[in-house]
Amino acid sequence: MYGWTGTILRVNLTTGQITREPTSPRLAKQFIGARGLATKMMYDEVDPKVDPLSPANKLIFAPGPFTGTYAPSGGRYDVVTKGPLTGTIAASNSGGFFGAELKYAGYDLLIVEGKAEKPVYLWINDDQVEIRDASHLWGQTVPDTTDLVRAETDEDAKVACIGPAGERLVLFANVMNEMHRAAGRSGVGAVMGSKNLKAIAILGSGTVTVADPAAFKAAVLKARKKIQDHPVGGTGLRVYGTDVLVNILNQIGGLPTRNFHTGYFPTADKVGGESQAARHLIRPRGCFSCIISCGRATRVTNPKYAGEGEGPEYESAWAFGPDCGIDDLDAITKANYVCNELGLDTITMGTTIACAMDMFEDGILTPQETDGLAVTFGNAEVLVELVRKTAYREGFGMQLAEGSYRLAMHYEHPEYSMSVKKQEMPAYDPRSVQGVGLNYATGNRGGCHVRGYTVSVEVLGNPFKMDNLATEGKADLTITFQNLTAALDSTGACLFTTFGLGADELAEMLTALTGVTYTTDDFMKTGDRIWNLERLWNLRAGLTAADDTLPERLLKEPLPSGAAKGHVSGQPEMLPEYYAHRGWTPEGVPTPEKLQALGLA
Amino acid sequence: MQILYFAGIRELTKEKERQCPVPVATVHELLLTLSARYGTAFRQKVFNGDGQLSDVVIVLVNGRDIRHLNGLETPLAAEDTVCIFPVVAGG
Repeated sequence: MYGWTGTILRVNLTTGQITREPTSPRLAKQFIGARGLATKMMYDEVDPKVDPLSPANKLIFAPGPFTGTYAPSGGRYDVVTKGPLTGTIAASNSGGFFGAELKYAGYDLLIVEGKAEKPVYLWINDDQVEIRDASHLWGQTVPDTTDLVRAETDEDAKVACIGPAGERLVLFANVMNEMHRAAGRSGVGAVMGSKNLKAIAILGSGTVTVADPAAFKAAVLKARKKIQDHPVGGTGLRVYGTDVLVNILNQIGGLPTRNFHTGYFPTADKVGGESQAARHLIRPRGCFSCIISCGRATRVTNPKYAGEGEGPEYESAWAFGPDCGIDDLDAITKANYVCNELGLDTITMGTTIACAMDMFEDGILTPQETDGLAVTFGNAEVLVELVRKTAYREGFGMQLAEGSYRLAMHYEHPEYSMSVKKQEMPAYDPRSVQGVGLNYATGNRGGCHVRGYTVSVEVLGNPFKMDNLATEGKADLTITFQNLTAALDSTGACLFTTFGLGADELAEMLTALTGVTYTTDDFMKTGDRIWNLERLWNLRAGLTAADDTLPERLLKEPLPSGAAKGHVSGQPEMLPEYYAHRGWTPEGVPTPEKLQALGLA
Repeated sequence: MQILYFAGIRELTKEKERQCPVPVATVHELLLTLSARYGTAFRQKVFNGDGQLSDVVIVLVNGRDIRHLNGLETPLAAEDTVCIFPVVAGG
């Protein structure tokens, strides 16, 4: 095989058995790799009703065909499992260098099964694979774990690990690789913790072979130029990072503020990318084979919140900032650093704190529940402390560790949770950006922007512009973006390559790399197939059309301020068209004809 | 009329905001006035070679993208807020 290594590594932590098996060329062609191929393995091997934190759940580390090649920004991998936060199939995507190293070690997928009796870590050095004792690592932070594992294995090893949050099964714990890159959402780190797996270290000396080197080189050079010539992919993200979005979302009235009470935050500029570049940025950073470099190496010198690390990205700056009514970028950045060090998803962490602040302001929570802390909007002082308490499940952190939905439900006020399928929504208010609301509601892992980033068209005008306040045409837009992203994620490419590339270029590179012909239509159909497979998993897990909705606040409470003042989300009126155009029944179930057409019957 | 600049546009204007110095009736007139103030680099950023709105900027009037209003002919009033962004993205 070309592009694919042709080998899957399987490690059973219960028995200690380590096995290898060939990658199926048929499945690789149908599901590409990464998110798609790993979801297919989950679908075939794991009961969707499995307890996500039980040994019967599996945890798959999955690079794609592009990963480890010089395809532009082709350094991604997914962590695929059943997510404990949502109960849905989870595929959390991360960059860095870990995914490429897994390919160089010779593997398309690493499937982790069972549960170790005591803490362990995996050491993968090409075909030498060991399960090693990690008792001395348990309790360590992400940076310390990474350093210790490298010292015990190889200084060039790429390390993915969990922090104290994953050990304590915080439902939105993440997996961190190379210290700063996160497979962030849905609690994949808690699954790793449930298996007593602290870390994975990889060193690979192999390569990724190419079917048609000349055609691949030509396709890659063409794609690189398209990204470099694009104002966003070429220069915009490198200079200001993703946090540059704060101001434009705020100006259109779509920056969720104080737990989505409104979409306009008067002092938003203090937490935007322009302020970050002026105050904290040391330099941009890129992942493997990246030509965009959106990453932010940053430093905070304010003694109160001093630290050094990466980020925050836009979503994180928003979650700890405007969504909590906070405009102190030092505190926001520190909260982001602590999440990375202790292994927490920043979006769910910030929005869960925002939910708690909202409940505290309304008297549902009192200092008695919050360990005496005044959990009020705008209180930057408590922000960092609440993050730490959550990771260690200390006091009130025990409740925050369950995410906003379970926190609000515990007090019989689910309406305070700004979540879909129990996962918190990110930084675009659906009352101002209508299409993204449909994407949230139908998201296969709940509230999430990167599964169907309609914002690109609705706000930014890339690659064309639609009115953010209109609902017409948004069902098809959402479907197209969801399908494109499902295929793109499965290649190992970064989502940001779409700031320059489309399905044409991705299919051309994939064809030259693998020797399997993907037309543009094939590529999009593969995305459709992956999306439908994820849907089938979720339906079998027990989710229904009733889960394809938004919090009442967004459907019934008009925005009280900002440029979209007076608007509510039109998500319910878009949903029937979405189902119909997907080839699903009015109950949101893929029809037999649809499944037949996709080869899923 | 308040004019706000963001991201790379600030590098051209060397300021974050300004009150419009003279009465202008449309976005087109405003951008011409601002081009006279900030010079060639600004003008080349906001206008393409045909004198139309460039595709590397986003102009909002009271939070609405002028592509969904009347484009460069979008009328302006003294109480309006105009935002000028380069094409930005993230996520």
